Amino acid sequence: MKKVEILAPAGNLPSLKAAVDNGADAVYFGFGNATNARNFEGLNFTEKEAASGIAYAHARGVKVNVVLNTFPQINDPDIWYRTVDLAARIGADAIILANLALLKYCRDKYPDLPIHLSVQASASNQAAINFYQRHFAIQRVILPRVLTVAEIRDLRQQVQVELEVFAFGGLCVMAEGRCYLSSYVTGVSPNIEGVCSPARAVRFDNSQDKLQTRLNGILIAQYAPDEEAAYPTVCKGRFAANDQIYHVMEEPGSLNILAMLPEVIASGVASLKIEGRQRTKSYVATVTRIMRQAVDAYYADPDRFQAKGSWLKTLNATSEGTTYTLGTYQENWQ
Amino acid sequence: MKIAIGPVLYEWGKKGIRDFYRRMADETAADVLYIGEVICSKRNHLTPDEMALLAEELRPSGKEIVFSTLGLVMSGEEQEYIQQVVQQATRLGILFEANDMAGIAMGEGHPMVAGPHITTYNPETLDFLAEVGVRRVVIPVELSQAMIAGLIRQNRARVQVEVFAYGRLPLTFSARCYTARAFHLPKTNCQYKCGDFPDGMVMKTQDGVPFLNINGIQTLSERLCNLVTEVEQLATMGVDMIRLSPQSRDMTAIVQVWQERLAGRMDAAEALARLNEINHQEPFCNGYFHGRAGLEFVAPRPVKPHLTNEAPTSGE
Repeated sequence: MKKVEILAPAGNLPSLKAAVDNGADAVYFGFGNATNARNFEGLNFTEKEAASGIAYAHARGVKVNVVLNTFPQINDPDIWYRTVDLAARIGADAIILANLALLKYCRDKYPDLPIHLSVQASASNQAAINFYQRHFAIQRVILPRVLTVAEIRDLRQQVQVELEVFAFGGLCVMAEGRCYLSSYVTGVSPNIEGVCSPARAVRFDNSQDKLQTRLNGILIAQYAPDEEAAYPTVCKGRFAANDQIYHVMEEPGSLNILAMLPEVIASGVASLKIEGRQRTKSYVATVTRIMRQAVDAYYADPDRFQAKGSWLKTLNATSEGTTYTLGTYQENWQ
Repeated sequence: MKIAIGPVLYEWGKKGIRDFYRRMADETAADVLYIGEVICSKRNHLTPDEMALLAEELRPSGKEIVFSTLGLVMSGEEQEYIQQVVQQATRLGILFEANDMAGIAMGEGHPMVAGPHITTYNPETLDFLAEVGVRRVVIPVELSQAMIAGLIRQNRARVQVEVFAYGRLPLTFSARCYTARAFHLPKTNCQYKCGDFPDGMVMKTQDGVPFLNINGIQTLSERLCNLVTEVEQLATMGVDMIRLSPQSRDMTAIVQVWQERLAGRMDAAEALARLNEINHQEPFCNGYFHGRAGLEFVAPRPVKPHLTNEAPTSGE
């Protein structure tokens, strides 16, 4: 039986090594510019670091996927195309793309470089996935976080490409690549600049015993003194609707599928993705190690798998709000 | 520039939808009417056959009819529905609007519109879409004037360009129904609560500022986008068509203002004043067009004092 892949994030070279050393089957990273959707300062790779990271991973039998999941801009499109060239040149095992123009370029110029369709392409159904496969021979699709496990299982029967799903980390609840909440508030767009809720637009204020988080002046949430404040993204904000104040879209917290690991693996997915390229090396090490233990435990005895309390406790400690959700994978979430 | 009435984004029921389009056909000078459910497949009140019947009924008005399709496609039934809409559009010889790549996939080879939810950010994407049958694109709402102008300059396939010019900005889709959630109901038993909110449900910040608008699985801006003061720029850039997104009230009057404005019979200041009145002096937004945060409003210059409508939350 081919084991499901554990795919870990690498915001920098030390994180890449931590992922490799703690049992990742594959890692993913992007370059330090607007070509990927985690364009944060001090994050991501230079060409030299990328080559070094790939050498480190390959020497240990670990694959490397390069992320290029924003949309080329009219003023300076070359950087996107040059980054595709770079990924091919340095020996990436796959390239993660969202934009039709880049998909076409990559398929035409590098027919042997496997393409993984980014979650930013928001391909959540058979027709869309088959379209991308027909035109660009994609090898894998990274599913947006909008499907239940039952829907993923059905989809698996209908498409010929591998499915990659999010297993742990931050939970985007919107169809990615088509979410304008960040740019509506801050003017900075995940699709264009590769940034959601940029740090420079964030403000934390203490006011009348309450901690307020703001994004470009808009009040995203306020917290009582004993509450832990989350980073102010619009979709995790606390607002007033229908005469109630609550997390209208989604509570802050991490996605963690461990409790449903058997169902998720049985649905036929090829890869379990850990989110968090902006997180620390120790986060990457911890999460990767526990996912490795959990997946190995599952394959050792699939019928009796149970998520250990110690795993959940350790993972919760890394999570935003120190809590977790099964997100859209559970039937009643929607 | 032509005027297009976008698809109705809200839950108005079968009769509400039909009445609305008959009124748009009979009482306005709009050139194009987009008909069809974009948000939620549970609200597909018109079957593809009924959409075709409505199109036939509206045909004597001389307006172009386009069938719109879902923005976030997940199930097999949803794909089947789109397939049937495409077939009806083909039979009638009209365009249909794809709002998910499922729509593009199913319409491949048929003349279609890439709706605002298809990520058309660069001319190479435009080229590709034209190759698979796209004849018109509705520009994603977050693109600035500079980006739209660049797209039009390099529009090699001469695809028609439509710009979202009036109405609540469609900002996101999720699998989760936020209207149902506001009533502590699961999506599977939503009781069509969205039917109680003909213009969506306002969502305010905790300090009372109207911020976003909940419309089922969609989130919109609470402010109406309004490019009525930018009409000359849109025309100069070569925009073919502007989209007015349906509101439950005063839509005929809104179209009338735009028609006067496009015909050059109403200047920017007067048109804005008129729309401010119709919109009960609620703030508009146009920040995206000016390369700023979408929620901002950049007032036209020279500014007459009584026309200023500055976003109070502007961060710049």
